[in-house]
Amino acid sequence: MSNNKYKILIIEDEKHINNLLETLLQTNGYKVISAENCAGGKMLFSSHNPDLVILDLGLPDADGMTFLKDIRKDFHTPVIVLSARTDEKDKVLALDFGANDYITKPFGAAEFLARVRSTLRNSRIHADSLDYSEEKFVSGGLLIDYDARRVFVDGGEVKLTQTEYNIITTLSRHPGKVMTYTAIIRAIWGYNDLNSTKKLQVNMANIRKKFGAKPGKPNYIENELGVGYRMCERDD
Amino acid sequence: MSKMPKFAKNALITAFILCTCFVCCLIIQSLFHNTSLVPTIFVLGVFVTAFITKGYIYGIIASLISVIAVNFAFTFPFFAFDFTIPENILSAIILFVVSWITCGLSAQIASQEALKAESEKERMRANLLRAVSHDLRTPLTTIYGSTSALLENYGSFSDEQKTKILKGIQEDAQWLSRMVENLLSITKLADGNVKIIKTDTVLDELLDSVLVKFAKRYPEQNVSISMPEEFTIIPMDALLIQQVIINILDNAAQHAKGMTKLSLKVYTSRKKALFEISDDGCGITPEKLKTIFSGYCASCEMPSDGTKNNAGIGLSVCASIIKAHGGEIFAENLAKGGCAFRFTLPMEDSYDEQQQI
Repeated sequence: MSNNKYKILIIEDEKHINNLLETLLQTNGYKVISAENCAGGKMLFSSHNPDLVILDLGLPDADGMTFLKDIRKDFHTPVIVLSARTDEKDKVLALDFGANDYITKPFGAAEFLARVRSTLRNSRIHADSLDYSEEKFVSGGLLIDYDARRVFVDGGEVKLTQTEYNIITTLSRHPGKVMTYTAIIRAIWGYNDLNSTKKLQVNMANIRKKFGAKPGKPNYIENELGVGYRMCERDD
Repeated sequence: MSKMPKFAKNALITAFILCTCFVCCLIIQSLFHNTSLVPTIFVLGVFVTAFITKGYIYGIIASLISVIAVNFAFTFPFFAFDFTIPENILSAIILFVVSWITCGLSAQIASQEALKAESEKERMRANLLRAVSHDLRTPLTTIYGSTSALLENYGSFSDEQKTKILKGIQEDAQWLSRMVENLLSITKLADGNVKIIKTDTVLDELLDSVLVKFAKRYPEQNVSISMPEEFTIIPMDALLIQQVIINILDNAAQHAKGMTKLSLKVYTSRKKALFEISDDGCGITPEKLKTIFSGYCASCEMPSDGTKNNAGIGLSVCASIIKAHGGEIFAENLAKGGCAFRFTLPMEDSYDEQQQI
């Protein structure tokens, strides 16, 4: 088992946060290597080939975004970005540049570990089966039958339009991951114009209604204000 | 771009005042057949011009024109120029002096007012800083004290005690992080020049994220919701408005003693969206109600035991956020008990666009 541990690279200049994340991940059975700046991170990345990178955006020697762009040229290694609340735009930018997820500082241990788990799982599924060979997506009371193109909530079928169904399946291909408006729009309509976001939001409102969602009550699709949407984790 | 209209405005004012003077003099002359009032009226005209317009130039121009007008129309020979009369040159000098002094005075008044506003702002900032540093010290004391206690006496605490201490640290750290969020918003808005960027936000999504956040903090507290059935989009900075609603809800959860019901209602019309957060708790005392959004009166009755006092800052942040959005915010006690916070946001007319989708 010890050889099978996921290897996680932390790039974060705040020593205390670095220590905390390292301890947290180690006690949860991950192997951890850590760097305090961009250059060290790049070196460790190329020598260790980690399974996941935790990347702080504000690093002393270079912007974290540079690191992200650099490794995205050649690798699909999943990256989780750490960011402060104020840089909403940076979050979207990081996601659109290929980060797999982000966590806003300050965050709790449970939230952090959940993101790590779902990101690792998503990337593994992608590596194993790029052709989406699964037939079904199940999470709690939600069931998506990809073959029959039907969606059920708590046993009852939900009638969705073509677009709504496409949105749901796109999100469900990346459970637990936040997808930006831009990414979803690109996947559904292929192009992005001024009205696309509104179009997506209207469709999303309809989906919520059909799912019987009430504001504030947990539902299958979480919304990240100003960023995008996140599908809940699938059941194993 | 803003310079042209200002120039035009000042020139128009000058012209208007001088024309009025001229007409007045003509009327008086035809009524009383006397020109002794003419210079007085023009002095008044020059004085008013110099006072209203900005800078020296308009006052000087006004006095020049006045001299010419008086010379031309109201001194002998009538309706002809004659600059050889020493009396005329004297009156010209007097008019110049009047306009010069008046311009100087009005400029001084303006600069004094600006100074006063600046010092008022400075005072507010100092008050805020004082309140904040006071409020920050309390949770920091808990965190620092608890962690050092844990480090030094780790073995002698029971597991239960440790959990309790750690819970305290966590709560205070969360409180601190909320405080910092509020402060960040203040600094974002404090720069008068920074315009907030409004994006179209789906009401449903906004309320959803507000309630998810609120439920994390107060899992026991139920919030009843009422909002328009149809798909509603309101232009706003979603994160800031989210913070406004959470601050108000938070305030209710912390301070409305005996509350059993907390509700959030949203009404929309073509021009405005009205948000109302009401509770049935103990209400707000009249003294507090007066200064509730200006915030820092919290310091005049700051509890000496250092009880956390986020309300003052939280609500004043709300007020500045709403103001920056071009909306209004009110608080009032309800007749049936409890209190209500209401705020409005302007809706840009985007109905037609929505219909197309």
